[in-house]
Amino acid sequence: MTKRSLRFLANDRVVETDRWEGSPALDFIRKDLALTGTKEGCREGDCGACAVLLGERKREGGAAYRAVPSCVLPLAALENKHLVTIEGLAAGADGGLTPVMRAFLEENASQCGFCSPGFIIVLTAWLIEGSHLDEEGALEAVSGNLCRCTGYGSIRRAAARLIKDFRDLPPEPEARLDALAAAQVVPASLPAFAQGGLLEKTAPRPLFTPVGFAVGGGSDLYVRNPDPIPRSGFAYLPADPSLKAITRRGATLEVGAAATVREFFASEDVRSAVPGIERFEGKFASILVRNVATLGGNAVNASPVADIVSMLIALGAIVRIERPEQSGTAREIPLERLYLGYKKLDLAAGELVTAFLLQAHGRPLFNFEKASKRSTLDIAAVNTAIMIELDENRITRGRISAGGVAATPLLLEGASELITGREVTGSLAVEAARAAASEVSPISDVRGSAAYRIEALKRLVLAHFATLFPGDAGIQDAVTKEALR
Amino acid sequence: MKGAHDAALNLRGMTAYIDDLPEPANALQATVKLSESARGRITRIDALAALALDPSVRVITAADVPGENQLGFTVADEPLLPEHEWEYWGQPLVLCLAQTRALARRAAELVRVEGEPLEPVFDPREAAARGEFILPPRTQSSGDVEKAVARASYVAEGRADSGGQEHVYLETQGAFAELVDGTRVRIVSSTQGATVVQRAAARVLGLPMNAVEVEARRLGGAFGGKEDQATSWACLAALGAFVTGRPVKLYLDRKTDMRATGKRHPYSSDFRISADKDGRILSFEADYYQNSGSSCDLSPGILSRTLFHACGAYRVPNVRITGYMCKTNLPSFTAFRGFGAPQAFFVIEAAIDALAAKMGLQAEEIKARNLVEEGDVTHYGMPLVGVRAREAWDRLTAQADWRRLRADIDAFNAAHPLEKLGAALIPNCFGISFTKLPMNQGGALVHVYQDGSVLVSTGAVEMGQQVARKIARVASSALGVPLDTVRVERTSTLTVANTVPTAASTGSDINGAAALAACEEIRGRIIAKATELTGLAAAELSFREGRLLCAGSDTGLSFRDLVAKCHEARIDLSAHGFYATPGLFYDAQAERGSPFAYHVYGAALVVARLDVLRGSYAIEKAVAVHDIARSLDPVVDRGQVEGAFAQGLGWATLEELVFSNEGRLLSDTLSTYKLPDAHFLSAGLDLDFLPESENPRAVLGSKAVGEPPLNYGIAGYFAVLDAIRAARPDARIPYDLPMTPEKALSALSGGLVGTRKRGNA
Repeated sequence: MTKRSLRFLANDRVVETDRWEGSPALDFIRKDLALTGTKEGCREGDCGACAVLLGERKREGGAAYRAVPSCVLPLAALENKHLVTIEGLAAGADGGLTPVMRAFLEENASQCGFCSPGFIIVLTAWLIEGSHLDEEGALEAVSGNLCRCTGYGSIRRAAARLIKDFRDLPPEPEARLDALAAAQVVPASLPAFAQGGLLEKTAPRPLFTPVGFAVGGGSDLYVRNPDPIPRSGFAYLPADPSLKAITRRGATLEVGAAATVREFFASEDVRSAVPGIERFEGKFASILVRNVATLGGNAVNASPVADIVSMLIALGAIVRIERPEQSGTAREIPLERLYLGYKKLDLAAGELVTAFLLQAHGRPLFNFEKASKRSTLDIAAVNTAIMIELDENRITRGRISAGGVAATPLLLEGASELITGREVTGSLAVEAARAAASEVSPISDVRGSAAYRIEALKRLVLAHFATLFPGDAGIQDAVTKEALR
Repeated sequence: MKGAHDAALNLRGMTAYIDDLPEPANALQATVKLSESARGRITRIDALAALALDPSVRVITAADVPGENQLGFTVADEPLLPEHEWEYWGQPLVLCLAQTRALARRAAELVRVEGEPLEPVFDPREAAARGEFILPPRTQSSGDVEKAVARASYVAEGRADSGGQEHVYLETQGAFAELVDGTRVRIVSSTQGATVVQRAAARVLGLPMNAVEVEARRLGGAFGGKEDQATSWACLAALGAFVTGRPVKLYLDRKTDMRATGKRHPYSSDFRISADKDGRILSFEADYYQNSGSSCDLSPGILSRTLFHACGAYRVPNVRITGYMCKTNLPSFTAFRGFGAPQAFFVIEAAIDALAAKMGLQAEEIKARNLVEEGDVTHYGMPLVGVRAREAWDRLTAQADWRRLRADIDAFNAAHPLEKLGAALIPNCFGISFTKLPMNQGGALVHVYQDGSVLVSTGAVEMGQQVARKIARVASSALGVPLDTVRVERTSTLTVANTVPTAASTGSDINGAAALAACEEIRGRIIAKATELTGLAAAELSFREGRLLCAGSDTGLSFRDLVAKCHEARIDLSAHGFYATPGLFYDAQAERGSPFAYHVYGAALVVARLDVLRGSYAIEKAVAVHDIARSLDPVVDRGQVEGAFAQGLGWATLEELVFSNEGRLLSDTLSTYKLPDAHFLSAGLDLDFLPESENPRAVLGSKAVGEPPLNYGIAGYFAVLDAIRAARPDARIPYDLPMTPEKALSALSGGLVGTRKRGNA
């Protein structure tokens, strides 16, 4: 295998390296680039201290900048992109302090300081994205960042200052980036890169043959293996645009396996195929992780509590598996059949999950529920999703999934069968919940006991009905009675 | 912004924590091999495979320790590396060094430590039953509890358990060590106590303390976790440097840190409380089974603080309490903000809750009737002066409109079967001073340079509590110079010797007072020179913002001018200041005395919202009224109160250490151990300070602030409990902190069979 070198823009200079592209980007940033403002706090994408900005040129011109967790990101993800670290932001501002930093200073929002660069990065990304410049948007922007000193009060007050100062930014991305550069929120290198400068465009290289080590976002992989040993055969799948596309073909929605969770929820096609699905985006990890985690990566990681997998199973997703080596070898199976046992997949060596296929006709009712310690940035003890197609008040097709109640993510076949063909009533909700609870046999672990998981699943299925039919007094009564039984 | 240099550097990513320090090219990276069972006897250590991995790999064991292989000063029960036995799952067994961190980690995986299993114990009550104690039990008493109980109208008894808490300092434990001239050692440690590390490293290396230099720069959080437990990592790095002759950096990855280091002590306690017909508390008894973990560490001091805070913020005339330091095969539990006091507060709050149930009263009614008052004498014989418990309580209940709030909550609950609100109040009374008397001392070294700029060095380690900012204010005010001309240096054993750890909320009290003494001495010399030069009376002269004033008007002379004159006149512009907290005494035999300089008061209210269907809950509202006397810096104090409350709330309603039945920590990552995130705390804390009043017992009339507000989080536990009871008035819910969604759901569904037992571990 020929050695390939990676090129990218690091703050305002072009970097070329032949380091192994599976190395965690964080190590490269801290060691090779000696940019130590980016911190290592947990090495599993769970604290945000390692956050950096990553800009990617868009096909239609301009660039999209996102905050990403560099500790669970392969170096390959930087290729042809613009990496902006805290040092890069500081260098672009008079006195070294951008308005975001200044807001933190005014509100005394940096105590021990270890988490501060990460917070500055994600709030800068929030201003660049610019679509939710309100209190809730700020909360979402910092959803992947932990601070142990402040209790977040001063950070919230700093964000409030930014909302006040920047609420009138132009809505068009390019104009906004220019305005932010003029205000020294970001250095001039961002608009320059977005306009095609600083890093010359290079033709996309052919994707490596994905042997052995094909990586989606990396946010699961590096959690399991924080020090991967360099080896050949590394393939960073999101580099292949064909694996990222979300396209509607007639009644079928095809979602590329390397599409990120963020892209999935942002897709108009996805939102029209599953009305209201975007309400559940915030239940999945943090914005940092959603910016890199891919649907395919999450699926093949085979965690029994993967939120997105639970959603996709309820939606009846079909997974397409191909051998990139041999064309015409694609096979398609229901997603729930991909799982043979704990972390065991129906996926042979050389096979790759390339897409998920969803039905895009009709307007199904959809709900997702999750039991976890924290309501945000947490892995579920139990999760469940439901998809219902209704004819009048009769369920013509119903699917209920569950995670965290078995060695694999499940389609609850008994409960799904039970509700299909039935009128929606309070007693159906109770029957479905009890059926769901009776068809699983979870284990106890760090996230919850078996008994808790069964009870939680029962109640979350009740919650599906209570949420989907808020005006139905019969359902509300039945759910209340069952919950307080 | 004046006085905030450090914060500006943090925000620009310029602050260098341990792992950010540039490394010499020949530096080695260190990691440790951890034990993989809770207890065993070492029979063989095989490092061959590890050594074969790379020529740079070095494996260092107990046999390589040149001095005394012992870190325990109170009890000699903590070898740096074990020679014979390991005593908990996750104990460092050998030190591995290599060129890169990844290599060192792989080498550690390849080291084989063989051993014979020994029977472990995890439950503190079981350890107590076997007589496994760190030190003998301690009892404090006052009055006659039996008599009190005999004439009481109500008696409630029960059990209250509280779990441990992981510090989650964002910067994990770390140290850098190198030899100087091949004979001395220099250590940069992420420690709260430079001298603690210096003393231990000298012992381990067999060097006098004057051959060991320890520097503590800014820490990325500590919260007590680096008071005693930064020491072993610093000593390991120093040992590595000593053995190899090469610089060594050790920076733990999160999982190793969580597995190997101690946390807040879990407690299991029994209580009995009695009251008269009006709800006046007559007596309180408790047995505290402290899960001390595998070694002594700071457990005796922590137990001491538990005992002193047994009665919370309440007046209790008859008391009998006993504390047991139970030795178990879990990581050695250690200091964590609050230092045993929150555990005690939880028990008395639970006891009052149980008493209220007996009496059919709101717990808040009982609390209001029993707050400590001016002149009350504690159960250990200390008269309380400057008491502000009632003032805080009244202000809080007025501000939060408590009666109305309670009525609104009850009305809401009556109308919403699947959603309940719950509320709880907690008063605060927290003693300030190290309970270990000799620790209440501190030094400072102040230099005024020829250009009038000021440099202050003290034993206070900056770890996010912004003690440097407070000390800069003390120096600026004492010298009468602008704040931005004062710089506070890192803590080093070269500049200030024999420091005590920055802990027990005393960092600015002790070190601020020492800096004040030094500044006053220098100021006196400069004023004397000014008197000589101007002929003006010394009593009339003062500095303000760097100008020399006489009776308030400008003399035309500046601080800088006079500093230059002093230098020309060969006057010493440096001074060492020293402070020993006055008025402290304690008779450990009689368990009587005045161990605290003063107390901090306050009160808080938490409202929680419970989803009855899902068992999840959220904090709806939090209000606190807190006593900061005459603050050195109210902005800093606000950050301290908000941060402490967040940690207390996390401990009470979210953060859960989970150990397997074999003693392995299962919650050993940030994806399995959950601390509050911004969403969890989105309700914020509505904080009001009590009106300014001068505290005569601390520097410039201020009060310590670091730990006391942590207690407010306990109200979160009782608020959720209150909401659960609104849904299930009949539920029998054990007092078992933290509340978790799992426990809430168990209570809501009438008890779950097979719910995981944490065993107080």
